[in-house]
Amino acid sequence: MEVDWTTFALEIINFLILVWILKRFFYHPVLDVIARRRAGIEKEMADAKAVEEKAQALEQQYENRLADWEKEREGARAKLGEEISREREHQMAAVAAAVEAERERNRVLDERHRQELRRTAEEQALAQGAAFSARVLSRLADAGLDERIVETMVADLQRLTLEQRQTLATSAAEAGVKMHIVTARPLRDAAQARLSAAMTEVLQRALPQEYAIDESLIGGVRVTIGPWVLHANLSDDLQFFAGGVRRAS
Amino acid sequence: MESAVVVFHLGPLAITATVVTTWGIMLLLGLAAWFATRRLSLDPGPLQTLVEGIVSAMDNAIRGMLPQRSQMLLPFIGTLWIYVLVANLTGLIPGLSSPTASLSVTAGLALLVFLSVHWYGVRSEGFVGYLRHYLRPSPILLPFHLISEVSRTVALAVRLFGNVMSLELAALLVLLVAGLLVPVPLLMLHVIEAVVQAYIFGVLALVYISGAMQSQQTVSDSNEEGGT
Repeated sequence: MEVDWTTFALEIINFLILVWILKRFFYHPVLDVIARRRAGIEKEMADAKAVEEKAQALEQQYENRLADWEKEREGARAKLGEEISREREHQMAAVAAAVEAERERNRVLDERHRQELRRTAEEQALAQGAAFSARVLSRLADAGLDERIVETMVADLQRLTLEQRQTLATSAAEAGVKMHIVTARPLRDAAQARLSAAMTEVLQRALPQEYAIDESLIGGVRVTIGPWVLHANLSDDLQFFAGGVRRAS
Repeated sequence: MESAVVVFHLGPLAITATVVTTWGIMLLLGLAAWFATRRLSLDPGPLQTLVEGIVSAMDNAIRGMLPQRSQMLLPFIGTLWIYVLVANLTGLIPGLSSPTASLSVTAGLALLVFLSVHWYGVRSEGFVGYLRHYLRPSPILLPFHLISEVSRTVALAVRLFGNVMSLELAALLVLLVAGLLVPVPLLMLHVIEAVVQAYIFGVLALVYISGAMQSQQTVSDSNEEGGT
């Protein structure tokens, strides 16, 4: 167990050379590739973290935007609700007005229909009344009634106003005008004379006279002078009565 | 079992078989390093994974003791581990003897460890600052520090030399006495012993160096704490 100094020195040199060799060809390349890989991993981690932060920022932005959208949507929904409510109230008012108008129209139509029915019923009643009266009066009418009616007519002619007399006279003054006298029964001469005298006085002239018989008059006389017709008979009076009642209703 | 077989002379230098074996180991390791690192990529294959695993394991072991100085110590400590391991295992090859079975080799390595302790200590805190730690905690301990420096270096050399030499001698004796296959378990023990001794040698060197560097760091920290 002795030390060979040459070997001792050479071993020191050899080991130092080996340290250099391994440092140059082994440790440095391996540590370098490990460092590069670690740097790449750290870079990827940093990139991933940056991407994550960016994603989180985008997520936050997206959530904010969603919140804004939600708020806008709520506002729009509220506004739409108000508009719908307002439009519904407007439509309901329009519908109510239309219903009221339709109800009023129906009420008017109904009222008119009732009036029409009542008028028809009245007309029918009047017609029936007139027919009944005509039948009764036709059984009661005779020559005496005709003469009393003529006397009444003569009295009425005497009470005509001056204007009415002038109007009849003007019509009678036209050329070719005749006086047509229609009676229910033949009128006796005395009655004819009183009627003719009264008409001559009113017309201020004597017109040619034509007598005719019409039993539908029931009783009395109808005198036609040009465009004017003087009614003094029961048939016309009944019609006048019925027409007057109808007009009055 | 000191091997002083001179293979050839290089001028006045007598080149022994131990030196030639060491050159062979250097050539082998150099070629292996070149082969393993010639196509390194960021996407490692099986060989690169193995190589990176070895380097990372050594780096992590150093980083466990000196977290800030692993890059600086890795070439020296790592080469100690690799060289001592390969040199120990060389004795398993018939016709070759382990260089570490030579006291000249282990003494040289121990001397390198001795020098590296002071080298890294001085690099860490400066010459005066490093020498000052021999006076701490008390100047009375200076002789003990000096004795410790020498004795642990001698122990480092003799421990490795004694273990490897004794294993080879035991294997030779068993082979001579018992026959061909009987020494096989002893050779397997040789493998384990080679790994253990390489690890112990490197770790002790690391402990010595880190002790020198951390003692300065501890003093600096205590001074900073006292200043604040």
